[in-house]
Amino acid sequence: MSEIVASGSNHTSDPGSRYDESVKYIKATLLDILLVFYTILVLQRAIYFRFILDLRVLPFSWVSTGAEFALSCLIGAWWTHSRTSLASKLFGISRNDSVTKWTVEIYGWFLFDITFIAGWIATNISIVSLFSGEGLRGAERLFSSLFTPQFGIFNSALFAMIETIYIALIATMLSIPPALILSFFTARNLMKENKFTYAIYYILRIILNFVRSIEPLIWAIIFSVWVGIGPFAGMLALMINTIASNARLYSEAIESIEQGPVEAISATGANKLQIVWHAILPQIVLPFLSYTIYWWDINVRMATIIGLVGGGGIGNLLMQYQGLAKWREVGLIVILIAFVVWIMDYMSARIRETIY
Amino acid sequence: MLLTVHDLHKTYKSGTQALKGVDLEVREGEFLVIIGLSGSGKSTLLRCINRLIEPTSGAVTFLGKDITHLKGDELRKVKRQIGMVFQQFNLVKRKSVLSNVLNGRLGSLGTFESVFESYSEGVLADAYKCLATVGITDYAKVRADSLSGGQQQRVAIARSLMQNPKLLLADEPVASLDPATSNSVMQYFEKINKETGTTVICSLHFLSLVRRYATRAIALKAGEIVYEGSPTDIDETWFKRIYGEDAEEVEIA
Repeated sequence: MSEIVASGSNHTSDPGSRYDESVKYIKATLLDILLVFYTILVLQRAIYFRFILDLRVLPFSWVSTGAEFALSCLIGAWWTHSRTSLASKLFGISRNDSVTKWTVEIYGWFLFDITFIAGWIATNISIVSLFSGEGLRGAERLFSSLFTPQFGIFNSALFAMIETIYIALIATMLSIPPALILSFFTARNLMKENKFTYAIYYILRIILNFVRSIEPLIWAIIFSVWVGIGPFAGMLALMINTIASNARLYSEAIESIEQGPVEAISATGANKLQIVWHAILPQIVLPFLSYTIYWWDINVRMATIIGLVGGGGIGNLLMQYQGLAKWREVGLIVILIAFVVWIMDYMSARIRETIY
Repeated sequence: MLLTVHDLHKTYKSGTQALKGVDLEVREGEFLVIIGLSGSGKSTLLRCINRLIEPTSGAVTFLGKDITHLKGDELRKVKRQIGMVFQQFNLVKRKSVLSNVLNGRLGSLGTFESVFESYSEGVLADAYKCLATVGITDYAKVRADSLSGGQQQRVAIARSLMQNPKLLLADEPVASLDPATSNSVMQYFEKINKETGTTVICSLHFLSLVRRYATRAIALKAGEIVYEGSPTDIDETWFKRIYGEDAEEVEIA
């Protein structure tokens, strides 16, 4: 049998390289300005005002901020222009000499350091209160109660725990159909075909990102106003969050399928629904199942927190005893939660392993 | 004339000109082989014929009908009559060999029927007949990805046979198989071509296979047809013209 060997490849010249270069230059300038502005703000407000002058209320005026921004623009633009700035290095348009190297290293570290210091100041970190005698005694009292749990409330705690597991289960199950449908409309490979479907894809993605960025705790508060305090509100909160998160995971599974079978089955003259059913679904059933079990696990954990704001279940009970400062009862509930979460975690990991 | 391609152009969004005015006529019952370097436009040409890719300009006429601008049901009706076999087999790996073969019939089944996989006795019998043609009836219930490469390609051939195709396209069907398996897979194409008179258009890399199976050959170079004629007439001069001055034919077996 014979095979063909050929050599020589054509080097294509890139007509867009000059255009790319100027786009990079603009991006680098903007980033440099931003970095300088950030540096000035942190140095002035966090380190000078807050730390050195120890001001409680930070002064603010548009004029001085504007002046600082103008200064940043000048410095940033000059820095990019000199091709030795951090951003020009990041976008690969910098001069390749020791000045750039020094700028990047020293300024890079400087940025990291002031960010860390500003974070430290903003958090009000205080070693003194962590190790004060009174504080330590309080913690000791609490911990000793937690570790001698009150088993008298075991029955009601167990019942509330089971309620929590069911809340999480129902939230996960009800989230499957909407997440499934949404995932097909938020999978890039299915929606990029024409402008109309791409617009739908884009809008849905934005909505889902928005919904996902709101914590389930906030949703629980919203729903407890909407449908009244109780397990139903908690379930709705978890469901909304699961739909948004699972739609994303599902659509990523759809995006990572092999295109070959899709191509082959569309070549047989199959219609859109048949392609989805016979070429796409068989490839995504397992990832879908795995993600769903994973989210049930997460929801059990979250359902305990949701209970804190009136979402029902074990979280509610925890909140009641905590309010009464009955730390031994709280101790029992915490141990129960830890135990159930551990079992769920272990089981969901094992199930997902077996599936794959 | 079964298939006529007239002045076909394809320019991809990236600006690559894959086809630059291809004219081609294919008679019924031919075994036409397309040769050419990787990137010469073979795959693009095959995919423009069954409209997996939209040509930029030009016309494709199949069975006397211009199919270049068909849409929806009309297009699917045409696709149903054109089978296709791919280099990577493109089977649904987690499904059984049988359901992969049944997938070939999707174009002529109703949506409801195919979604619930309630295939009639006749359709099932057809599937087994297609499996028998490529000699893998024993593996019908086995998962597709548990088969060897050569067997998977035969399943893919059986799937395309389920369409009762007038035309069978094959895009480098043996490029990911070893030499011995390549030959046996090519023999199935030959068998289908001779026994049912199905027209085959196939792109290949091995010149020895081209000489053995093709009734006619065309060569593509940078999106244009540079050779058309009998496969046995491709001598060294033509070879260098098609594959470039530095190319040489290498014996590997």
